[in-house]
Amino acid sequence: PLPVRKQQIYTDLQQLLLLHSKLKKENLIPLFIFISGGATMSVLALTRAALKNPDVSWDHKNNPEPWNKMEPNQQYKLLAVNMDYSKLKKDRPDF
Amino acid sequence: MAEDIKAKLEKYRTAPFDARFPNQNQTRNCWSNYVDYYRCQKALDAKGLDTQPCEWYKRVYKSLCPISWIQKWDEQREDGTFPGKI
Repeated sequence: PLPVRKQQIYTDLQQLLLLHSKLKKENLIPLFIFISGGATMSVLALTRAALKNPDVSWDHKNNPEPWNKMEPNQQYKLLAVNMDYSKLKKDRPDF
Repeated sequence: MAEDIKAKLEKYRTAPFDARFPNQNQTRNCWSNYVDYYRCQKALDAKGLDTQPCEWYKRVYKSLCPISWIQKWDEQREDGTFPGKI
């Protein structure tokens, strides 16, 4: 508990470290690593979805049906289990 | 080409894997084939060609789409309110 005369404004983290003197900021480094890693991965996933997902069209005039631009053996998924994309051929008749 | 289509239609069992729609949600697959069938008919009619190849799309959408959707879209096409571009 802080002495009343020494009332200063501390952040929660500073107060925590003050009260529990054995704690060091360095011990929290793995936490920061995981949090920043998770944040990076989520941002990357969102931008990949926004730019590469064949269901997404930002420009309706010039790109109305982006899924039709895919090759018959093009893989969108990052990990496809039990699916040999190299063996796929075009099925649909042209018109 | 026409013989290929006939052969493919004879051997047809179900809608094949479509790389454009690899995930569980196949809604767009159904929609795409429905729209493609009528576009194919319109395009081949305009060129004066046999529309037999278009049957592939019809078989696929009949395999994939719920019957209520097909009925709704057929009614919309007759009314002229179909939301897709054919």
